[in-house]
Amino acid sequence: MKKIIIYTTTNCPWCHTTKEFLKQKGYEYEERNVETNSGWANEMIQKSGQFGVPVIDIEGKIIVGFSPEEISQALNE
Amino acid sequence: MNKIKDSIIIGASAAGLSAAIYLKRQGIDFLVIAKEIGGEMALSGIVENYPGFPSTTGVELTQKFKEHIDKYNIEITNDEVIEINYFSPKEIETTENEFIVKGKKSDYFTKTIIIASGSNPKKLNIPGEDTFYHKGLSYCYVCVLPLFKNKTVAIIGGGNSALEAGIMANKICQKAYLINKNPEFKGDKFLFNQVSKFNKVEIIYNALTQEIYGEKFVHGIKYLDLNTKEIKDLKVDGVFVHIGLKPNSEFVPDEWGIKNEYREIIINELSATKVKGIFSAGDVTNIPYKQIGIAVGQGIISALSTINYLNKTKK
Repeated sequence: MKKIIIYTTTNCPWCHTTKEFLKQKGYEYEERNVETNSGWANEMIQKSGQFGVPVIDIEGKIIVGFSPEEISQALNE
Repeated sequence: MNKIKDSIIIGASAAGLSAAIYLKRQGIDFLVIAKEIGGEMALSGIVENYPGFPSTTGVELTQKFKEHIDKYNIEITNDEVIEINYFSPKEIETTENEFIVKGKKSDYFTKTIIIASGSNPKKLNIPGEDTFYHKGLSYCYVCVLPLFKNKTVAIIGGGNSALEAGIMANKICQKAYLINKNPEFKGDKFLFNQVSKFNKVEIIYNALTQEIYGEKFVHGIKYLDLNTKEIKDLKVDGVFVHIGLKPNSEFVPDEWGIKNEYREIIINELSATKVKGIFSAGDVTNIPYKQIGIAVGQGIISALSTINYLNKTKK
């Protein structure tokens, strides 16, 4: 199974939607709440070149925002 | 062809989901079509004026709504509506109609429609706005402001969302400028009284934002001081635009004549439009107060009016 990292903030609705989407599909993921850890925030900005959340890192493939099609594609569904 | 439904609800936020609960309980055959659940409600930060929930968040409230529709096995059809129109044209305003709802993924057919498509944030339409979107500029303080810990931000707007952003910024940021083009705030006094006491939040009135500039990320904004007619500069790391909402009504035909000059859907006290079979509720309507509680109430009215209409037109 591919490693999935999601960068989130606590009350971001799209972050919740993305997590729900992955849960429903049966994928496990590591959540990095950038609100609670400035190191993760910097990491997210460095990886994606922007401030929007969620950012999904699927083994190096960076997806900004909730995009079911892009996530499915990156997971080779 | 998809089977003709009794009703289609467009939108799955406070108004659409409230309507769905009422239609379901009356055994109406309907669909809810939406791109996402929650809409602008989900983007609300702290919510403290929705009765029964002394202090909650938009995300939590959306989750509660979701639990409620799940109880009734109401599913959301994931699609984006691009057009609605008559399927079998008849005399407008005099006889019952049938409608086609064209989505990006499929076409749907129905006897009635509840338009509960809500609204989206308005844009400033100034230089730099598109360039720096997600590069320091955001329309969602709830999502992105936490990334500006100990930074300086500008919050542009004069309503509740701008004031709420100011409250959050006071907790997180080193400094926040609250830029209001008017001489006073339109938002709740309760919120304004809090913000006006904050040391970290500086309110600038009569300030018309002209430009957002930077390099890779935002470095600052320029605004016109309407008192002195001077262009002034503020060095900021982030810009949060909360200047109001634009109704999502593009898919409603202009020739129906049910939109006002702000593109809001014109409804009567029964949430009905002048086109028979077309109802509307929530932020997309011409009702002036855009509140979650009001959207819920209108959603319920639109559902009850739909049920009444279907009963009267039943053959």
